[in-house]
Amino acid sequence: MWHKISWRLLRQELKRGELTIMAAAIVLSVTAVLSLSLFTERLQAGLLSRSAEFLAADRVLSARQPIPTEWLEQAEQFDLTTAQRVVFNSMAFANEQLALIDVKAVSEGYPLRGELRLAEEPYGAEISVNDVLPNPGEAWAASALFQELGLKIGDTLEVGHSEFVVSRVLTYEPDIGFAVFTDSPNVLIRYDELAQTGLIQPGSRVRYHILYAGSEAQLNAYYEWLAPQLSDDLHSWRSIADGDSPLARSLQRAERFMLLASLLGVVLAATAVAVAAQRYCQRNYDVVAIIKTLGAGRRQIQQIFILHLLLLTFFSIAVGLLLGWLIQAQVIDWVARQLGTSLPTVTGRPYLLAAGTGFISALMFTLYPLLRLIQIPPLRVLNRQLTGTDRWRWLHWLASAGAIYALLVFYSQHWLLSTAIFAGGALAAGVLLFVSQLFIRVSRQAGMQAGSAWRLAMAGLQRRARSNRVQMLSFSTAIMLLLLVLALRHELLADWQRQLPADAPNYFVVNIAPTDVERLQQEFAQRDIEAADLYPVVPGRMTAVNGVPVRDEVTKEARGDEADVSAHNEEQREGFGRELSLTWRDTLPPNNRLVRGQWWEPGTTTAQVSVEAEVAERMNLQVGDELEFNIGGNVFQLPITSIREVNWGSLQPNFFMIFNTAALEDFPATFITSFNLPEPRKSELFELFKHFPQVSLIDLDALIEQLREVIDQVSVAIGFVLVLVLLAGILVLLAQVQATLEERQQELVILRTLGASSKLLNRSITYEFLILGAISGVIAALAMELVLWILQVQVFDMTPSLHWRFWLIGPISGAVVVAVLGRLACFRLVRRNAAELIRKLA
Amino acid sequence: MLIQTLQLEKEVTTQEGILHILEPIELAIEAGQTVAIVGASGSGKSTLLSLLAGLDIASRGEVVIDGVALSQLDEEQRARLRAEKIGFIFQSFLLIPSLTALENVMLPAELAGQKNAEQQARELLVKVGLGERLTHYPNQLSGGEQQRVAIARAFIGTPKILFADEPTGNLDAATGRKVEDLLFAMNQESGTTLVMVTHDLQLAQRCQRILRMEVGRLTEVTADVA
Repeated sequence: MWHKISWRLLRQELKRGELTIMAAAIVLSVTAVLSLSLFTERLQAGLLSRSAEFLAADRVLSARQPIPTEWLEQAEQFDLTTAQRVVFNSMAFANEQLALIDVKAVSEGYPLRGELRLAEEPYGAEISVNDVLPNPGEAWAASALFQELGLKIGDTLEVGHSEFVVSRVLTYEPDIGFAVFTDSPNVLIRYDELAQTGLIQPGSRVRYHILYAGSEAQLNAYYEWLAPQLSDDLHSWRSIADGDSPLARSLQRAERFMLLASLLGVVLAATAVAVAAQRYCQRNYDVVAIIKTLGAGRRQIQQIFILHLLLLTFFSIAVGLLLGWLIQAQVIDWVARQLGTSLPTVTGRPYLLAAGTGFISALMFTLYPLLRLIQIPPLRVLNRQLTGTDRWRWLHWLASAGAIYALLVFYSQHWLLSTAIFAGGALAAGVLLFVSQLFIRVSRQAGMQAGSAWRLAMAGLQRRARSNRVQMLSFSTAIMLLLLVLALRHELLADWQRQLPADAPNYFVVNIAPTDVERLQQEFAQRDIEAADLYPVVPGRMTAVNGVPVRDEVTKEARGDEADVSAHNEEQREGFGRELSLTWRDTLPPNNRLVRGQWWEPGTTTAQVSVEAEVAERMNLQVGDELEFNIGGNVFQLPITSIREVNWGSLQPNFFMIFNTAALEDFPATFITSFNLPEPRKSELFELFKHFPQVSLIDLDALIEQLREVIDQVSVAIGFVLVLVLLAGILVLLAQVQATLEERQQELVILRTLGASSKLLNRSITYEFLILGAISGVIAALAMELVLWILQVQVFDMTPSLHWRFWLIGPISGAVVVAVLGRLACFRLVRRNAAELIRKLA
Repeated sequence: MLIQTLQLEKEVTTQEGILHILEPIELAIEAGQTVAIVGASGSGKSTLLSLLAGLDIASRGEVVIDGVALSQLDEEQRARLRAEKIGFIFQSFLLIPSLTALENVMLPAELAGQKNAEQQARELLVKVGLGERLTHYPNQLSGGEQQRVAIARAFIGTPKILFADEPTGNLDAATGRKVEDLLFAMNQESGTTLVMVTHDLQLAQRCQRILRMEVGRLTEVTADVA
């Protein structure tokens, strides 16, 4: 029988709109989570696949020895597309000159992702080619090699035992990466002509790669098969997300932002459910008292209302899933058009996540209100003041906190991040409660001196202090989270903009001889090219820390000074006893921040070194440790006097080790710099560097362009996330305003009966919400600043900053939005005449 | 004896100290009797009603309903007792707003697990003159109609006892009389024991016995009023 009663109650209440807010809150939480996670997952998949161009594949297997053909065959079993790539250094001979080159031998299909670009002359106009390799007997070479060896198209290049006709200029390879110091000009040949060169001998330093392309599922399945056969020493399996290139960093940061913003959205939606759940139960106090009076036992009440809630939850989740799917389908379509790409479909996880969110929030947040509801004494039929026991309130906090924490973990699958956000949130909530209490008390005193509408508003605030405190907590939380997402978005975009200003250097010049420095600077000045500082580079090894020799530790750090996803650098990272690029300098370079110790005074004669923070952390180096270096046979020790953070995302020369001038200046060095040259002036390059044959030029345009593209895509995504978070925030506010309506109704009856004009009532309501909103806004801005500071430092690796405008935006937008919502919600109430209201109350 | 109280007392603790709402009350009501409890506001009549109906617990003393001492029952058992033996009518009707007239009337029978709840409810609603308004919601009915639904609900499952708290208190005089007539007619027909709390002496006089409550003391005044 009880299920019939339950169903009947639900059906009628739904029909009569009495469950709208509760249902809407669940629907929104489900919709928000579904569309957010579908969207972010699809977008991430889309970004990853675009970014895969940087690997020229979706995954790359690298090995230091030839890869068994069985592995290649097995990939075909998994329906993966593959290509082979072998990379090694060699000497090339042409025009009676020798040059060190990087040979890249590739098989049909290369590149699996992205494209090659070629030109008919060095630094000439580019043409894109897909799925094309040099003809047999031909090779394609980078512009720099043309410059170095004085090559022309059609010249012959000797590599090992083979001779190749250089038929094209290689201007862009998707997997070129960003390696400044080690990069010799690339020469691309066919994989099937590799053996003839005779360069691959046992013991040769060669990297073998298999490139893979396919769906995530296929790739994962293949990797599962492959993983047990891989050896950590010999093999590495990479995807773009693993890298620490500027691109991978941007992606990771964007991913973290989306995750965080979505989490905040989820928390907001859950808050709306919590507010609505409380009201849902309060509305049923009378019903429970009546049913109990009519003879229902506690068990029957439990069954009726648990089923009622479950039915409501199911219904709302279903609507939410449908709505979420529709929204993201529309948005995806729009975004895909904006980005000019198609976004891949994803797994069922978002659906599970969304439904789970609906369940967790509906059930956990109603636990206590439901418990209280079940406890309502039947005597309430004679005494409306009875609201049951309050001694389980701690359970409410526990269940709500548990629900939010569970949602955080459930959604992010990241214990640490969830715990950090949760702990921060709990602390903030405590402070918020205290501060809002204080504000209400102060405003009451201020209100006593004000006009009647103000006085009424203040009295209202004070009278409902307890519910207002909670209300203010959720207003503040909502406003804070909105401000947070807004500020974070701003910071993130600004940071990217800073990283990639319009005049970001797009060329690196390395190998500048000391004798050429002055001439080169003159050339730059004549051509009005603004170059970054010149950095001397001295190759050297770090051999010991505090007298204890280092071996592997050094090689791990000898990772090529600029982060890189290319094949070359993988070798560097794993190489043994590799040289570092050392530099000296009087001042701290731009994009570097001192975290420990002190930077030396210019002209200091005592030798000392400054170490990059990540290296210091990994190798456990402290200020004061003695490092031993070996430069060209000269072994010397010097102390670490400072540790620096380096912005590796900046397209500037960056170094792990910087020495003071006295320590290094006597060693032979070459110089490096970077500069910006707009695309139309590209043709000047050949002329400019003609006189500096040993100088190498590295073109970063393609990398920068791709980085910009990714940032644009992420910006669109962030905008969408912001809209959803905004919607969730508005719903919280609405639910909260709605929740106090019944209480207000009673008060309005009295005031109305006593002859208060609707103008006075309207004003007092507006003022009350205005004050509530403004105070919440102030608290929100304060809390946001604190949380943002922690996030910037801890999660996003950004420099923290103050956001003054949000101190104004917070209270003003809070006051306006809350007042408008409050006025709208109370609009009908105020228009009703006293008799109508009394009847409704009865 | 259907209803009996033995030295029934109720007190509450307030900031000023202990407040005695009911002084020891001895009361016996035979099956089929109609009893009115009259008295000023705050005299304790509704408290007595709530104790008799097992909605509240006495501080001392005992209520015995149909041979069962309420103090021996827990809340569940008291609810079961209400479901089986007691019907209620309240001043503010106390219908469930989200259920139709028919569903409201069916509710007690359904809670008691009776099979033919709907049939019984239909018949009762026809009897109270609302056969045409089965699917109306409380807010679509006038006060008098709502109270008639409440009367139908009170009689479903043929309870032995009917407790009425100011049943016409919220109605205008004319409607009030009609509702009274209906209540007494149905009560007579089913032979239910009626215990009614009211301000209205005229209404009280329709009962066989009248008890007056004054500052927590109950006195039989049937003869005086009559």
